[in-house]
Amino acid sequence: MKNRFLILILSLFITTVVAQEKSVISDLDELKLDIGQIYKPITYSVDNEGKKYDCERQYYYYKKGAFNMNGKAIEYNRANGTIKAVEPGYHEVVAICYGSGKSIRRTFNVTINYPKVKSIDIITGDESIYTNTYIPLSYKITDQMDVVRDIDYWKSDNAERYFSNLEFSINSSNNKLNIDDSNNVLALESGSATITVVFDGIKSSRTISIEKNPVANINLSLQKPEEVRTGDVVNLKADAYDKRGNLISDIKIKYSFTGKSFDKSNSASGLILQDGRFVGDVAGKYILTASFGNTSKSKIINVFQRKVQREVKKIGAGSVNDKHTSDFWVFEGVDKRDYAVTGTWGADGTAYFWDVTDPSNIKKIDSVQVDARTVNDVKVSPDGKIAIISREGASNRKNGIIIIDVTNPYDVNIIKEYTKNLTGGVHNLFIDEKHVYALSAGQKYYILNIEDPTNPVEVGMFELGKEGQAIHDVWVEDGIAYSSNWRDGVYLVDVGNGIAGGTPSNPVAFGNYTYDSGANHATFPFKSKSTGKFYAVMGDEIFPNGVNPNGTNETAGFLHFVDFSDVKNPMEIARYELPGHGSHNYWIDNDILYVGMYTGGVRIVDISGDLLGDLYKQGREIGYILTGTADGYIPNDTMVWGAQLYKGHVFYSDFNTGIGVAKVSELKPNNSMTNQYVD
Amino acid sequence: MVRLILFLLVSNFVMSQSYYVYVASESDDTVSLLKFQNNEINELERITVGTYPTEIEGPHGITVDPNGKFWYLSLAHGNPFGKLVKYSTESNEILGETTLGLFPASMQVSNTTGFLYCVNFNLHGSMKPSTVSVVDPVTMTEITTITTGSMPHGSRISPDGLFQYSVAMMSGELFEVDALDLEVSRTLDLENKMMKKNGMKHSMDDMKSMDGMKHSMVKPTWVIPHPNKNLAYIAGNGSDEVIEVDLDQWKVSDRFNTGKGPYNLEISPDAKLLIGTIKSEGKTAIWSLEDKKLLREIKNTTSVSHGIAISSDSKYAFISVEGIGGEPGIVDVISLENYELISSVEVGKQAGGIAFWKQENL
Repeated sequence: MKNRFLILILSLFITTVVAQEKSVISDLDELKLDIGQIYKPITYSVDNEGKKYDCERQYYYYKKGAFNMNGKAIEYNRANGTIKAVEPGYHEVVAICYGSGKSIRRTFNVTINYPKVKSIDIITGDESIYTNTYIPLSYKITDQMDVVRDIDYWKSDNAERYFSNLEFSINSSNNKLNIDDSNNVLALESGSATITVVFDGIKSSRTISIEKNPVANINLSLQKPEEVRTGDVVNLKADAYDKRGNLISDIKIKYSFTGKSFDKSNSASGLILQDGRFVGDVAGKYILTASFGNTSKSKIINVFQRKVQREVKKIGAGSVNDKHTSDFWVFEGVDKRDYAVTGTWGADGTAYFWDVTDPSNIKKIDSVQVDARTVNDVKVSPDGKIAIISREGASNRKNGIIIIDVTNPYDVNIIKEYTKNLTGGVHNLFIDEKHVYALSAGQKYYILNIEDPTNPVEVGMFELGKEGQAIHDVWVEDGIAYSSNWRDGVYLVDVGNGIAGGTPSNPVAFGNYTYDSGANHATFPFKSKSTGKFYAVMGDEIFPNGVNPNGTNETAGFLHFVDFSDVKNPMEIARYELPGHGSHNYWIDNDILYVGMYTGGVRIVDISGDLLGDLYKQGREIGYILTGTADGYIPNDTMVWGAQLYKGHVFYSDFNTGIGVAKVSELKPNNSMTNQYVD
Repeated sequence: MVRLILFLLVSNFVMSQSYYVYVASESDDTVSLLKFQNNEINELERITVGTYPTEIEGPHGITVDPNGKFWYLSLAHGNPFGKLVKYSTESNEILGETTLGLFPASMQVSNTTGFLYCVNFNLHGSMKPSTVSVVDPVTMTEITTITTGSMPHGSRISPDGLFQYSVAMMSGELFEVDALDLEVSRTLDLENKMMKKNGMKHSMDDMKSMDGMKHSMVKPTWVIPHPNKNLAYIAGNGSDEVIEVDLDQWKVSDRFNTGKGPYNLEISPDAKLLIGTIKSEGKTAIWSLEDKKLLREIKNTTSVSHGIAISSDSKYAFISVEGIGGEPGIVDVISLENYELISSVEVGKQAGGIAFWKQENL
């Protein structure tokens, strides 16, 4: 009897377990919908014996999520149990079948068809078409939803998305055009020809007139230094002439280059723009060519090594090895001696004050401890009287800023805690013209008047005013605040410059630049002494593999040099990217960049002259130091936070070692220790 | 057969137990896995969380999946939105993540719907309604958001898994979400119309500020439904009280005073005890749930008492204590049999969210 009972219990248990193995079945599977179509899926579950069960509830969702920044490709109306096709493409939809107190789910592939093509315009540009030149074709495609898409001849990512989904063909009415396997169209003979394209069964034609190439000769001149070095920008100027020697002005000459490195184991490398600017990255012989059709003219130049390397030597250090160090600021005190303040990170809310008058003998002279875990940023007023430190991780979650009297850096005194509108944490701040610009909860910045530092008064606020607004840093120079807003890039805001009528109480944005990585973390304004050009140098902060709790963190990202000479038309023209290491905070003085490259140490880079292309590959680096020490908080782990040039010395803070100072020598590097076989 | 059962029962009784708890340290970006055994708690592992080594991302809420295989962590600070991250309890490695709203905080998984419900606390935002994010934890997809009140906190699921409760700290409301309909089903104003502060009686108009928004005097921070009665208990962080709500009548059925700043509340699985952290006093209070009598107030090891996790056998409460500044976070273990603090362990700074994982026989 007992055995029978046990067997019964066991059978029930097994039956229950087996019965629970259900699968979701839905007619969503490989469903194809047209844009705008609303569909009510039929979903149920079956057990492993094929028995069908209705769902008590059904849920559907687009797998990229309801809050996906890329928009909703498929919308779900829970009240009606319907889905709506919003964006064309191949999408994943999850169906959840709820019944008997349990949910089971399955992902289904749903295709939303591109709307049928309604009309096609073939675009060939405004310029005349000449023999022996390629025609820059693009297509303006209007679909039946009246959505217009520009498919550019040269933008393959966009074109590929479209061409891969639609039947496409192109042909010419005669042999005056040659169409290659990649659908490039070359004009061969003068006269007229009709191009016919078919997209998705819709045909469109355009008759073009081909003129005989009038260019008989090209005159190419170079504007360049007497000796061209890597990184020097050479300006090509080409004029085309007909056979009678008349200047032809309405054509676009193509610029290109080839080259050979002086170093046999290296390859020539450089960049040429279609406005005629060329830069060589690697020392070598380069052939620069201007061409139009079959007519071309070339010039050969030698590009020599830049040879800007100098010895960089560590002078002194102020060790902080019982906690992480964050930002720092070096300043001249009211007594004309030199001082520094450093913050701490993930610790006990301490900020340290240092006497750095003798950089070889940095002395810790005072400290303050506030209710915080991180003092991320520290700044000192230009008159050397007031320091302001930021708080994160306050125990009462009211963070804000702390204003400190540093008139006597040997005996600093907290004079004000200010938290209004700043409780969410102040990650960075800046002091300018009796105002402090303080970030609030990583979303906006407030502007406080601190003429009376014991009574800060909020006078203004700047935010992007959009969903998901985020900010990481703000820097003010010449009445312009440069805020770094991650994916929204840099915003230039008039806070007193006058360019846009802004004031601290009425900040007015007048410029913006974004880039694809969305990792804009800091921005430094830079007016080149050597060229007069104005740049916003925008830095990334990227940890590609997140946090490594067991060792050195992998860092990535670089500095983007954006030519802001024309505020309305900023152009990203150069980068400083150190392979294997990512950027953090930096300083520019006298056309030299001092940058904390986290694990790559402090890097000192010549950014004189016109800037174009990859500055690191161009050998512009003057020198570097690695800052990890055996007695560091994490031993031998270089993690430079930032750098500041002060009275000829390169100060830096390191996450693991504290504050340090280095000096760039006039001497070239001492290679006496270098492997004898290395040239 | 009977002897065998008796033997097993007795063996089970005398065998030593071990208890496992996860706790998040908000200012250190770490989560600690703790083991309590033989009246001593120890840190087994400290797991670094977040993706920016030089930014504090603020792990705040933590919960263990009802199946015990996964734990979920909310990271308060992102760019600007926070995240929900899923980890394996077997390896403590990340299995998936999804973006939520501003300052996502407390959360729980419904054993019935299988969804995770996480409040977007938006602690430092403007006084406007925030949301509850509903996440399918299998695919780690936020499938919808449900608008509730200003600064929602304390997301807890009813024992049948069909309702989610949270309180809005600034607007002073209790929200009940139908866990299947994914909509707010009921809202209850928690203000005490007769509340006196500083000897003065305040009207509802007094609770409105210049911006026209209600600013709660109760400032509720937590709600916990009763394990087997249709009651819920709410921590009135601003009014220094526990509020009992009759879920059938949908009205406040009782209020009783606490020390200053009650913050989190939990009920022992055997439904006998109500445990509360008294944040501003650094204490933990234990009440008898039957008569709501205060049985004991226990001083925590340091200050700023935060979260509570109770062992599945109702014998121990694990209390996270934030500390101040550079102090380490602490987890105190309180015996629920004799109401004494019996062990403590240091964890990362600002220990907050805490979740009981499992109990094992040795």
